[in-house]
Amino acid sequence: MLTFFVIVPVLIAVFLFVFSTNKAARVLAIIIQSLFVLATFWLFLQSRHTEFITYVGSYDDVLGIILRTSNTSAVFILLTSVIFLAVSIYSYNEEGVRTFWFLLFILEAVLVGLFLTRDLFNIFVLVEVGTVVVTILIMYYRGRRQMFTGMVYLMLNIVAMQFYLFGIGYIYMLTGAFDVAHVADALAYIDREALVLPYALIMTGMAFKCAIIPLHSFVPKVRLYPAAPSAVVAILSGVQIKTNVYLFLQFHQVFDTFSAQGFFLAVGIITSAIGVFMAMCQTDIKMILAYHTVSQVGLIIIGLFAGTEYSFLGGLFHVISHGVFKTALFLTAGIIFHAYGTRDVYKIRGVMRRMPIVGAVTVAAVLGITGAPFFIGSISKYFISADVHWLVEWSVIIISLGTIISFTKYAGMLFGKPDQDLIGDKPKPDTWRLVPAMALGAMCLLGGVFGQPLVNFLFVNTATIDIMGYAQKALIFFVSVAVGYGIYKYIIAGNKLLKRIGDLDLGFKSACASMGAFFGLIIIMVGVL
Amino acid sequence: MIGALDIFAVALFFISFFGLITSRNIIKTIIFILTMQTSVIMFWLFIGSRTGTIPPIIDVGDIAYMYNLPAYADPLPQALMLTTIIIGICVVAINIIMLNTLFRKYKTTEWSNMAKLARKDHIEKY
Repeated sequence: MLTFFVIVPVLIAVFLFVFSTNKAARVLAIIIQSLFVLATFWLFLQSRHTEFITYVGSYDDVLGIILRTSNTSAVFILLTSVIFLAVSIYSYNEEGVRTFWFLLFILEAVLVGLFLTRDLFNIFVLVEVGTVVVTILIMYYRGRRQMFTGMVYLMLNIVAMQFYLFGIGYIYMLTGAFDVAHVADALAYIDREALVLPYALIMTGMAFKCAIIPLHSFVPKVRLYPAAPSAVVAILSGVQIKTNVYLFLQFHQVFDTFSAQGFFLAVGIITSAIGVFMAMCQTDIKMILAYHTVSQVGLIIIGLFAGTEYSFLGGLFHVISHGVFKTALFLTAGIIFHAYGTRDVYKIRGVMRRMPIVGAVTVAAVLGITGAPFFIGSISKYFISADVHWLVEWSVIIISLGTIISFTKYAGMLFGKPDQDLIGDKPKPDTWRLVPAMALGAMCLLGGVFGQPLVNFLFVNTATIDIMGYAQKALIFFVSVAVGYGIYKYIIAGNKLLKRIGDLDLGFKSACASMGAFFGLIIIMVGVL
Repeated sequence: MIGALDIFAVALFFISFFGLITSRNIIKTIIFILTMQTSVIMFWLFIGSRTGTIPPIIDVGDIAYMYNLPAYADPLPQALMLTTIIIGICVVAINIIMLNTLFRKYKTTEWSNMAKLARKDHIEKY
């Protein structure tokens, strides 16, 4: 039954590859995708209390391959399908549609498959397919810059997956199993020393895919974001990176003999802080959002590895909320770029006056990402820092302050008077593009207002939000806004040095070197200490 | 459990990785990616078949043989490595096609030159 969820997007993709020049066919595809969203919602409701298991090829789970849902993966599949629905509506009028639509839905199948599969080798195959699809989507406009970044992306991901493949080979040698649950059982009987090498290999591969800091600047993902279409970028940072975080978490749980929790917590804090600092240095709107993806993934990792029940819940919920507000931000950034013809955050002015709806959605999403009270980000940030060590709590506050500073810059483009040169006779924003953006903006607000019931509904929990704690967080938010605005006004705005720092990036070779360094670091952390 | 062949595969893996870090030319990088894949595939095959094992083909006619099986090679890694080889070939082919296109546009195959030229390209159009 679960194979259905992988096959349907592939069928939509093939259908669109043949008929996508026909507008009615595209509408039909969007309708099928909406039905698919309903199906994933049904799957989520079903797997809240029981696990679904499908045996592929009618062998049992030792010999065969199984697909399995848990509550968490069902929630993430729901998020994936919702965001793909939004993006497919958004790109209704996309030019050169044929390959674009085909690859988009193939990517959806791959991502859903990654959430479902529990087989180590299947994960490898799906990730490789996903890498190739993403590479082609990145190069979709066929400029030479896009091709270059696409090639760097592809090569780095191949190298990372070789690490992973080596690691699972080693695991197979030791345990003779591929199913995650069986591997976890078997690893309990194996010496800790023998596991250091496979652990380091697998974790390096997975950490690379999640863009954790020593490996982030590889992130040609980040670097090439401006080159790729907005719709693709929205998927990359809304969903695709989350599959990698999910796998990362899964492998961390498989190897629970290594208590590397503190290490990854520290890595998460560093990732988040450096990501937010690099975001402050950017002037390109898509680059700002791209570096915030690094920072928010760091925040998710902080939540998942802080070690308390509420922060884990907050980390999981932040996957959802980041998916919602970051997709909204990227989609509106696409509309704004389309209307103004530039991505320089200092040149774009007066979005609110020209396109009130886009402006309102941007405001909602910005309030979401900065963690304003009654918006979706505040709920996940509240849970992440609800009952953690004070050091972690303060790092979350400082990271939020950085986010506020950088989004003060971003929100500057909403106000002021539009530059006459940039207005021109650009067309009005397309209704097909406005609708999904508006829906996501509304979700930012509704998810915040009904935060507590939503968290409990999605993750089958009985978490409560303490009103006093929440009010305290709100107070910290308002103080941070005041401080952040001051820092932005007097230090960040138009600073030349910061702009130069923001241009720093690693090439292919240095990215590989950082991968090797991270590998060595894990070996030292786990094997020696 | 770890033999000389395994150590050879691991060594080749890290030598290729060192090559990736140091090679200045993109063609060399692709070659090192290939050797890296080869080393991983070798490692997997060594897991499946160690010295002293027979091929996993059972002679049905000889019943005494069937009840007294010697250690035979594990066929699963070989099957998986077929998939990996195919994926590897596809991915490297895409890489070479992209490099070919890029060479026509940038007239260089050096990492540093190409990165310098790419940074100058304005992508405001998109």
